[in-house]
Amino acid sequence: MTFKITLGGKEHDVRIVRRRPHLVVSIDGREHEISGTGTSDEGYQEIAIAGHPISFARAFSNDTMLVRMDGRTFETAMVDPRSNAEGGGDRHDVVRAPMPGAVVQVHRQGGDEVKRGETIVTIESMKLQTALAAPRDGRIAELARQEGQTFEKGEVLVRMEPLVENK
Amino acid sequence: MNQHALAGIASDTPDTPPFKKVLIANRGEIACRVIRTLNEMAIGSVAIYHRVEANAVHAQMADEAIEITGDTPVAAHLDVAQIIAAAKKTGADAIHPGYGFLSENAAFAKAVSDAGIAFIGPDAATIQLMGDKISARNFAVEHGVPVAPSVISSGDLDAFAAAASEIGFPILIKAAAGGGGKGMSIVHSADQIMEAAKIASSEAERYFGDGRIYAELYVEKPRHIEVQVLGDGQGGAIHLFERECSIQRRFQKIVEEAPAVNLAPELREAICESAVQLARAAAYKNAGTVEFILGADGRYFFLEMNTRLQVEHPVTEMITGIDLVRAQIDIAAGKGLPLAQSDVEIHGHSIECRICAEDPNHDFMPETGQLRYIGVPEAPWLRFENALGPNQKVTADFDPMLAKLVVYGADRDDAIALGIDALDELTLLGVTTNTDYLARVLDHPAFREGQLHTGFVALHGDDLAEAEPEGAVCDAVLIAAALGFREFQQLAFDIPEPYASIGGWRN
Repeated sequence: MTFKITLGGKEHDVRIVRRRPHLVVSIDGREHEISGTGTSDEGYQEIAIAGHPISFARAFSNDTMLVRMDGRTFETAMVDPRSNAEGGGDRHDVVRAPMPGAVVQVHRQGGDEVKRGETIVTIESMKLQTALAAPRDGRIAELARQEGQTFEKGEVLVRMEPLVENK
Repeated sequence: MNQHALAGIASDTPDTPPFKKVLIANRGEIACRVIRTLNEMAIGSVAIYHRVEANAVHAQMADEAIEITGDTPVAAHLDVAQIIAAAKKTGADAIHPGYGFLSENAAFAKAVSDAGIAFIGPDAATIQLMGDKISARNFAVEHGVPVAPSVISSGDLDAFAAAASEIGFPILIKAAAGGGGKGMSIVHSADQIMEAAKIASSEAERYFGDGRIYAELYVEKPRHIEVQVLGDGQGGAIHLFERECSIQRRFQKIVEEAPAVNLAPELREAICESAVQLARAAAYKNAGTVEFILGADGRYFFLEMNTRLQVEHPVTEMITGIDLVRAQIDIAAGKGLPLAQSDVEIHGHSIECRICAEDPNHDFMPETGQLRYIGVPEAPWLRFENALGPNQKVTADFDPMLAKLVVYGADRDDAIALGIDALDELTLLGVTTNTDYLARVLDHPAFREGQLHTGFVALHGDDLAEAEPEGAVCDAVLIAAALGFREFQQLAFDIPEPYASIGGWRN
């Protein structure tokens, strides 16, 4: 079975090649022998890849697995094989809340035509105001929050639809 | 968690403590920092907390903790009457305000002293004088401290825009009251002034209840240099040298160091002397910080005075060996200045990195979440100032600063190397932080060479961006991740039933 794990915006194939005498895993076709596998827990871990000791820390956070290795924190996620079929649409079709907060000003309304980069709403979180801009040229299909309304991180605030060209 | 005592700070033989009990009108790392010195001085400590932070580290660390109520946790921490009542109830004879919250609120300082409690800070009149940028600036002008040309709004934004464009460009527009970069912007041409003025004015009104705004000459490639002062309230004042706080994002500091890099001795002398001059003229009492901007041409201008302990005070403690909280307490108790100017010396170099819950890949947007794993480096040359508990929740209730990593080295190169090592080792998983970004800042050639100015983050944005993981690192990270996923573990290690009795399921 091949697992799909995302790292840095890319999807990687992770496959178990052998389990004995040592675990051998293929990453996008590159095989690695893992002679020490650590424990299944979160937190600090020591493993060995091709005999080289590697230490890191690992923790789950919502849907992602965070790995701190070599002075950097990496965000990874296991791709659910079912989700690939769903599609999910173009990520440029919505504007999501980058953080929890409230809408302080609505600049453009549902139905308005907007140019890429044009400010649609101004939001505020942690005393910080941020202008959320149109991700592309188009029309605002739905403005999910009005002035004064609050939202959580990741919620869709604006849905876009393509402009219908009159030819 | 690393909670060691201040490195290199000599503690005197404790004589009679100047106060019996001090209430800390604050929370988080600064409350813990103050409690540490109170413990060393054998003074009792009282913490205050809102119910959302009932298990907070500062509340547990204090000898006593009193719950304060409010519609929001921040509102509770700003409730003067409740805080004074808590002090009276617990018999605290002094209040330390920390930074932020009520620390620069003149009405609070007055209410505290009216209640017969010592306020560990300057008196209300001084806070008022320095808290308003306009009166502070006028005071600086009167006492020969250099200021940049500026214009103040009288409410008529058209007139303000016209007058501001006379200064020349670029100009900086900001709120007249308060600080922290709220509504602040840099304007490069006359046609941008109106919009910037409107934003600044509305933000000023929202945050400070005072819509007055202010424009001044913007010094290009400015450095932010600030001087730590201590005043005895009788006109006596000394400085503890300067700090450089030029590395900023969103007009807020993220890396501070002491001493400032490549500062000519005469210039250091002049800047520090200006700060002391201001403190003396104000008969300043307690610890304060005089902030300046320094241009590439060596001209420097008074920016503002912060009448409280600064976030970045540890770097000064590291290079001077003076415990600033102890000095604050002694001064508040009328013991005067802890030492003479001639006895203040700089030893080594110190750098502080502010660890914030924010995403440097997305314009430093604040992040929330829960810390699932915390790993903190420990060494005699570092302080990790924090109030992080196990599974600490990071919410939008409070400031996104999680902790401060402060290192001390024999010289600047040494401090940079130690700082990078400590940042690499620091592990905070569960909330996106700027830890890795800060390591890239310290490692940047321009930072190492000391080419610092407040535009550093923007100028070097591309260099400071996170690189995509590749090659061996990428594979190792994926293996580390895979080993943690249950689905992978089952397939890699779980042994079908007939073989399960043979032995361990792990290599």
